[in-house]
Amino acid sequence: MSLFVIAILVIIFFFLGSAVIGLLKGGKAGSDKMFKALRVRIILSVFLFIFLLVASQFGWIEPNNFNLLPTQ
Amino acid sequence: MSNEKYYVPHGTYWPIIGSIGISTLFIGFANQMHDVSWGWPVMVLGFAITAFMMFGWLGTVVTESVSGMYNSQVDRSFRWGMSWFIFSEVMFFAAFFGALLYARVLSVPWLGGEYNNIYTPQLWEGFKASWPLLTTPGDVGQNGVAFSTNFKLVNTWGLPALNTGLLLTSGVTLTYAHHALRAGHRDALMAWMLATIALGVVFLGFQITEYGHAYHDGLKLTSGIYGSTFYLLTGFHGFHVTIGVIMLTVILYRIQKGHFNLENHFAFEGVAWYWHFVDVVWLGLFIFVYWI
Repeated sequence: MSLFVIAILVIIFFFLGSAVIGLLKGGKAGSDKMFKALRVRIILSVFLFIFLLVASQFGWIEPNNFNLLPTQ
Repeated sequence: MSNEKYYVPHGTYWPIIGSIGISTLFIGFANQMHDVSWGWPVMVLGFAITAFMMFGWLGTVVTESVSGMYNSQVDRSFRWGMSWFIFSEVMFFAAFFGALLYARVLSVPWLGGEYNNIYTPQLWEGFKASWPLLTTPGDVGQNGVAFSTNFKLVNTWGLPALNTGLLLTSGVTLTYAHHALRAGHRDALMAWMLATIALGVVFLGFQITEYGHAYHDGLKLTSGIYGSTFYLLTGFHGFHVTIGVIMLTVILYRIQKGHFNLENHFAFEGVAWYWHFVDVVWLGLFIFVYWI
């Protein structure tokens, strides 16, 4: 399941990178490419967050329990 | 676009003011770190000069842009400049994520004797190679410092998840703003921009609250490699969100002034990308600090 989460994150970064290419290109074509890439990236990000919520409810994935605070 | 000749910038005093501001800022910061009495005021003065320079220089650029002084060659220069800035930002955060994963996956287990390395209890009595490592081994035994052994778990679905939801929602509202700009719906554009800025401000408020709780519970910048990497990552991210909120506010002001149209809105695109990037960095933090 962790691999799935990382894979989605990698795809999100791919679309973020694709948006940079659009930004660099400029003009109507570049602007369209950038907007579409950013739209896909936000859809995937929201999906990933909701997936984590659902997956943790069903016990498919659990927090790593590394997020500890010292008790004094 | 007034002409297509090679653009030669006019003489300007802003670079030297920027150099003076940044030098003053760092001289003040360095001396403040050494508890020198004049460190703080000099640091604040340096910050003020730098802010003045940015306001003045960027204001000049905006004035030149809206008066039609820039041609397509200048447009390409801005796009390349933004792309290199983006590259440096990606590398900046990659270094901190790399430090977190290197410490967690490799160096702390090595200190515990894995992979045929030295077994460190011989060096530091009572050392336990566990993650999170909240005590720097060399400090143990000095000034009453002991290895942290008692922990309590942070609720992943508390503030961390709430902040993730807030930033992702701001990514959605910004996407709607972007769509409104491309469709020429000015009122909708301003409303979605306002929503994005408000969500960013609320995020920062919750982040400050979380820091307050963590510090109160004893997780400090000096709390071993975990405390250092946690605060460096989340702190620099919070700094970027602050910069993002300021830039979004400037863009909102420029929208209100009518600086952008359907074809020419590079400044909006640059800031929009930056905000999406900051959003993804937080998602990465949420996943690597709390889940994987």
